[in-house]
Amino acid sequence: MIPTLGHIAVLIGLAATLFAAGAFVIGGRSGDLAVLASARRAMYAAFAMVAIACLAMIVSLLAHDFSVVYVARNNATTTPPFYSVISLWAALEGSILFWTLLATGWASLVLYRYRARLPALMPWVGATLALGAAFFFAVMAWPSDPFVRVTPIGLEGNGPNALLQNHPFMGLHPPLLYLGYTGMAIPFAFGMAALITRRTDEEWLAVVRRWTLVPWILLTAGIVAGAWWSYAVLGWGGYWAWDPVENAALLPWLTATAFIHSSMVAERRGTLRIWTHALVIATFTLTLVGTFLTRSGVVNSVHAFTTSGIGAWFAWAILLTLGVALGLLIWRLPDLGDRRPPGAVVSRESAFLFNNVLFLAITFAILFGTLYPVVVEAATGARASVGAPWFNRVNAPIFVALLFLTGVGPALPWGGASWMTVRERFAIPILAGVGVVVAAWALGVRDAAPLGIFGLATFVLVVMGDEVVRGARSRARTRGEAPPVALLRLATRNRRRYGGYLAHVGICVMSVAIAVSATLGTDRTATLRPGEALSLGAYTITYDQLVTEPLASDPRVIETRAELTLAGPQSGRIATALRDYPNSATAIATPVVRTAIGEDLYVTLLAYNPSTSTATIRVLINPLVMWIWAGGAIVALGALFAIWPDRRRMAVEAALAGA
Amino acid sequence: MAGPFARGSVLRWLLVPVVLVPLGWLLFTGLGSDPRNLPSPLVGKPIPVFAGTTLEGDRFSSADLAGKPAVINFWASYCIPSCVDEHPVLLDLVARHGDEVQLVGVLVNDTPDGARGFLDRYGQVSWPTMLNPDGGISIDYGVTGPPETFFVDADGVVVSRHIGPLTRALVDEGLASLGIAP
Repeated sequence: MIPTLGHIAVLIGLAATLFAAGAFVIGGRSGDLAVLASARRAMYAAFAMVAIACLAMIVSLLAHDFSVVYVARNNATTTPPFYSVISLWAALEGSILFWTLLATGWASLVLYRYRARLPALMPWVGATLALGAAFFFAVMAWPSDPFVRVTPIGLEGNGPNALLQNHPFMGLHPPLLYLGYTGMAIPFAFGMAALITRRTDEEWLAVVRRWTLVPWILLTAGIVAGAWWSYAVLGWGGYWAWDPVENAALLPWLTATAFIHSSMVAERRGTLRIWTHALVIATFTLTLVGTFLTRSGVVNSVHAFTTSGIGAWFAWAILLTLGVALGLLIWRLPDLGDRRPPGAVVSRESAFLFNNVLFLAITFAILFGTLYPVVVEAATGARASVGAPWFNRVNAPIFVALLFLTGVGPALPWGGASWMTVRERFAIPILAGVGVVVAAWALGVRDAAPLGIFGLATFVLVVMGDEVVRGARSRARTRGEAPPVALLRLATRNRRRYGGYLAHVGICVMSVAIAVSATLGTDRTATLRPGEALSLGAYTITYDQLVTEPLASDPRVIETRAELTLAGPQSGRIATALRDYPNSATAIATPVVRTAIGEDLYVTLLAYNPSTSTATIRVLINPLVMWIWAGGAIVALGALFAIWPDRRRMAVEAALAGA
Repeated sequence: MAGPFARGSVLRWLLVPVVLVPLGWLLFTGLGSDPRNLPSPLVGKPIPVFAGTTLEGDRFSSADLAGKPAVINFWASYCIPSCVDEHPVLLDLVARHGDEVQLVGVLVNDTPDGARGFLDRYGQVSWPTMLNPDGGISIDYGVTGPPETFFVDADGVVVSRHIGPLTRALVDEGLASLGIAP
């Protein structure tokens, strides 16, 4: 009964989105406000329908209704309620359902917010969003129906993926990532609307910048949360493996970041406009390509979902999207010419241009590395794989150049800089950077990567610090404000600039933490008998005993844990375990991560022998890892600061609307 | 604007096929490949040896497979619906080719009672099922999860491996690789 309700809701949703798409086009051409209002309401209805379908799925999961294939595959009678609920995104069909919920949610939000504004653009924005949502409803109606039933009905289900139920972070990371992915449809829809209506002026850019930053913040948080999950759950001591699934999230993030920068130039100087449109199209297409790669089984992976016809649907959707969008862009090229001559070589515009070229280079490198095995297999039939060392080697130099530009760009004036300005702005930061490198060398750091990143990060931070201090001081002088007040007012009067700076601080923090944790960590592995100890750095870890017992929350899961006593800078009793899930052939590690400001102590159980009670323990000291997560949070906060509604500007907008 | 992208130039439209045709080729050829047909380091190598007790309480070992092609099927009673879907396919395989090939089941992370309950419900079988209590056989074969099947020739060499439920077509394909006509 309830699954049938969900299925019917999906079909009504499909009809509603198709109606909305048609009505938006008709209303856009005729300007009939009643038709446009009905189109908007149809999109709200589609959102309500998919919300009902999601609810039906969650109820089926909580009730362990194994007549639904999806529930039988991803749930068991012993699954705790929390993991039953988040099993909504445990596998392909459910995650498409969840994706559609978020996509129609974003669409409804945008259509509601702009119901009385941008009358020329909005019908086409609505039509684009409605068609996108209709595609996902159609996928659920045909190749990837989440409510397929099975007979005979099993007494017990397979249970959720062992990795999914091992850590509550799985409740946070996928929704953040999906919110980011689905939100990228909004800038794309505005881009299409601007091209269709030939209103490719600064108006759409101002709207789209904001609506790119919102999903960008969520995508950033989702990627960092995913790295954190991988670190805290998988037990290998690392956080990024250049897996196709990870790359799929990073690719649209890179083009969206490039867009955030290039749109500033387009808005300010009227140049780079074709390019900015192309980035919006690329970002949206890459979210589709990412879903296709990770969900169709094209990329060779044990976790690939297959045997559903979803791959061909996505392939057609990608080709159609790209074909229509590129065609539209080329058709409108004559409208998108540069309005001003390009700036001087040493200017902020060219720093932004270089920034975009580098972002594109990283995007292509990662796309190439991810697709290379597919190309080789298509051409020769042989299976190939591209490993993490290749990605690191190719991307590290580009990234270093990008970090350098992070410092250079904001300090250069628009239009062009004289040699005097350059010398005045960069002398102190360069000296500071060199000084930090020398100091680190003197303290014993010998690896090139951390040394280089220390120097660059210092350079970037000093450039920005100098800029902020100069601004605050001049404000304090001219307005007679106390320095802290001047600083606060300076930042809140120009949120975009100083929010951007804060995001750059976060990037510097992350860069230093990544470079240090990747090169300066230590680790040791040993097989111990009870009572024996293992030392690493200042820590001593004594192995007390091996305990095997079923998990209290789910007795089908058998946990074998090594109980340890930790002594050193951090001390206490800890236990690291391997868990055997009934539906997983390999045991899932439960590492212990003791986090401190300077370093993480990471202890994981690799293997054990019950007959001799020996345990093989791996201990890692990972310096500065918590600063990767902290840096990610600073980046997100900076972007949030940048888009935070400005009270003065809102007052101006309200006055204009009333006039 | 001047150059090849000028208004009215047909050349600029070439960009669309230049981007779409290779991308389309790539996406669709990739679709044809079966991601479940994963390469296994075992293909082309002799099977890892095993010995132990079956569900009926008999002794059985990999030596008993010698001289005849074999199909080694890893399964479990909790693996629903994949193993349920696969069960009639295996029964059909033995009904048609029981003389030419030896089928052996291996339990993955399952209890004997669970397995017996599964067979009571979905149909008893004539072939042995290894209990595999410590999961050692699954580890030696690099099994990612049930169901998973290895096709082994008469010399005890692994010819192919399939992850996921077998279908009749996949069985015939596997048997053909062992030189058995469907």
